[in-house]
Amino acid sequence: MTATALLAGGLKLQVAEVTAQTPSITSITFTDPAGGPLPAYVPGSHLLVQCGDGVNAYSLTGSGRSPSDYSVSVLRVASGAGGSAAMHRLRAGDRVLVSRPRSAFTPMATARHHLLIAGGIGVTPMLSHARAAAEWGMAATMIYMYRPAEGAHVPELRELLDTRLVECTDRGSFRQALAEKLSSQRLGTHLYVCGPAAFMESVLASARELGWPETRLHSEPFGTPELDAGQPFRAKLTRSGIQVEIPAGVSLLEALEGADVGVPNMCRKGVCGECSVAVLRGTPQHRDLYLSEDQKASGRTMMCCVSRSLDQELELDL
Amino acid sequence: MSTNLIDHAIPQEAATILPERITRFPFPFSADSYRYSTNIEPALKPVSTEAGGWGTRLLDIDEHYLQELGERAAVLQRDPSRLQVLPHMRPAVWDAITTLLPIMADEHPETMSFERKGDSCRWQNRLHNLDLEFTAGVDASLPAEPLLFLGSQIQDDIALLDQRENALWLDAGLVTFAADWSLGFDVGMKFLEVHGPVPRVHDEQIITRAQQFLMNLQPGEKYRRTNWTMTVGRRLDTSTETYPEWAQDRSAVVTDPALPDRLHLRVEVQHLIRLPHSGAILFLVRTHLLSLADIARVPAWRERLGRVLAELPPDMAGYKGISRYREAASAWLLAG
Amino acid sequence: MGPMSTPPSRTIYATFGAEAHSGAGPETGHQSGTEFRPDLAVGQASPDSLKRLKDVLNQAYVGVRLVIAGPSADILAARAAAAECGMVEEEMTLLHRVDGHRRVFCAHCRATTSMPEASAHEIGCSGCATVLSVSEHFSRRLAAHLGYAAHAEEAA
Ligand code: HEM
Ligand code: FES
Repeated sequence: MTATALLAGGLKLQVAEVTAQTPSITSITFTDPAGGPLPAYVPGSHLLVQCGDGVNAYSLTGSGRSPSDYSVSVLRVASGAGGSAAMHRLRAGDRVLVSRPRSAFTPMATARHHLLIAGGIGVTPMLSHARAAAEWGMAATMIYMYRPAEGAHVPELRELLDTRLVECTDRGSFRQALAEKLSSQRLGTHLYVCGPAAFMESVLASARELGWPETRLHSEPFGTPELDAGQPFRAKLTRSGIQVEIPAGVSLLEALEGADVGVPNMCRKGVCGECSVAVLRGTPQHRDLYLSEDQKASGRTMMCCVSRSLDQELELDL
Repeated sequence: MSTNLIDHAIPQEAATILPERITRFPFPFSADSYRYSTNIEPALKPVSTEAGGWGTRLLDIDEHYLQELGERAAVLQRDPSRLQVLPHMRPAVWDAITTLLPIMADEHPETMSFERKGDSCRWQNRLHNLDLEFTAGVDASLPAEPLLFLGSQIQDDIALLDQRENALWLDAGLVTFAADWSLGFDVGMKFLEVHGPVPRVHDEQIITRAQQFLMNLQPGEKYRRTNWTMTVGRRLDTSTETYPEWAQDRSAVVTDPALPDRLHLRVEVQHLIRLPHSGAILFLVRTHLLSLADIARVPAWRERLGRVLAELPPDMAGYKGISRYREAASAWLLAG
Repeated sequence: MGPMSTPPSRTIYATFGAEAHSGAGPETGHQSGTEFRPDLAVGQASPDSLKRLKDVLNQAYVGVRLVIAGPSADILAARAAAAECGMVEEEMTLLHRVDGHRRVFCAHCRATTSMPEASAHEIGCSGCATVLSVSEHFSRRLAAHLGYAAHAEEAA
């Protein structure tokens, strides 16, 4: 994935504040350099931030209702790809490119009660949920497991949740608190968990064992439902006798339009079926919602607004 | 003013003297036959038609603004069930308000303005002589129930869908101008169930595809589609609730010499928006009515609508409720 | 009552119509010996019996499952009541006895009429006496089919 494609339509923000939460966790607050409001976001959303050599995803910790700033908290990972170290080097006044907030961890509107389970730095989206719940007058309970002296955002959580916050700094007390909460939730409760993979797996496994249905279980997947930029390829157009190069991050439809080869289109999202083109040679990488599985398998048609190529070259009847 | 004589004498010049209700009408047909499809396109894309164009605004305000909002208020007075908000949709309603009012102010700066600091908002709408300060999220700071209030500012009907259990649920709405359906009955249904009565679309996977597309929308994304049917008279409220009041018109109009003036093409411009804070899908339906007599003033439209009506398969015509008069309408249009 | 007093993974059985065991009392658990004793056994889905179901569910903890057995019209009404208590589809099992009985919601006066047989396409509305055409359109919230004026388009 190229960073530029992911950050397309993103925002250029300024670091307003850097605060140490714990020895290894730092909160960074971004604002619009012109002082304007920022787009609202769904609680539990994340930002893609370009920093150092890479692009990393961080959960926003605000409620998202009418933000004047975006705040993230970053754990310095010694073994990481270097993104977290670069984030920790940010200072007030630095400019960064961030994506628009993306939602992948939405609180359920129908929930009567939110049971939030956070492990370590996984507290960040849970804090966002807790804030939104408080703003909308919804009940939330949190179990927060952290290593001694490594609890980020603890004062805010105590104030937000009061007796509905259970803090655990060792496995034993966490297991006990979890078992107690999992077996005492009224119907209508939804569970959200975020933390290290093994932590999330064990929480989900305990919940399932106690009869929690999948519908009520929500865990943070950073995978974005959006299409990635894809690999570059070449299209040979047999009727017009030209070749078109399609770089990563540019759709086949856009590249064809750039070469003055018009293809009827409508949704540009792979659902309407308008932009189909006949494939004469090569294997398309189908990414649309329009073609049936059989049609996709035959490889003879493709939706050029979203689909790409598995081969370096496709021959198209255009 | 303009007479038919002038229109016919110099058709090339006709476009320059056609009224706005025709030049801005979202004529929905691009071919001589019509079938259902997942006809979704990005919002705000300009569309040009044989008579003019449309599509550059999300919230379309026209000369019927005050009259239509008056009609909406009257419908609600008679039948409050046209407003439905399941309790969990309150945040989505507020999200719709704080998303749409600024857009409306941007699109109509001469009559409207919106300012916001934190949760304090100020909304001015000169068409209503309204200057209102309210607090986002606080129902009591508005002069009416929040969705009712929003429905008093925009001509569109409004529906809100919650996303859960791998489906979309129609859980709130303010719908006074329905094309033969009932929000009071449909509220609480899944998107697929809402579309249960529509022929063909289920076999053709049109609705499942549309739902998948909608569930993948990211916050702030805006799309639109058109839908059409026909209505006798300039009647906006053709809800199932009032069907007994308008049903007989469907037979009476067939032999009425005034058919070209009474029969209207009803086009809905529907917007589909993922709201930024609640994550709900906002569905707006803006209904436009244009009489066959007006349609006939644009020769290309006259002919195309005539052909579409003649060709439409019986199941689709039956579903749209136009079976009784579509032949008469088509014949009049094609006799031109 | 401590939080552990109701074991989470339990199933609540509710039966309607003829399936309702006359002798079974409420909240008595289920399988005892060979005799099946539902938690809730009622004749029809009425406001009163649905309230009893809701009372049981409002005391329940996540982990619970609900099995509803009986004539379709009744158990669909029970499903709507359970959904109001926050139950999700995954937690409910419906055992239908298809007897053709339907509930019909009048779009014009909002009354619900019981229709004895599915073969009939029309029925007089119990609220406004309009002859209703009964459609396949079904509301899970109202647990009823849509009915609308049957002969409204015909000349008077
Ligand atoms: C997202 C919110 C939407 C809502 C709430 C909605 C609601 C409805 C309703 C209530 C009807 C009338 C059904 C009846 O007869 O009872 C209808 C008709 C229909 N809808 Fe949707 N719809 C939505 C989006 C879409 C989309 C995205 C498509 C895309 C294909 C679509 C396609 C249709 C079609 C083809 C009909 C039949 C229209 C006719 O022939 O008059 N709808 N819709
Ligand atoms: S433009 Fe709609 S599928 Fe490509």
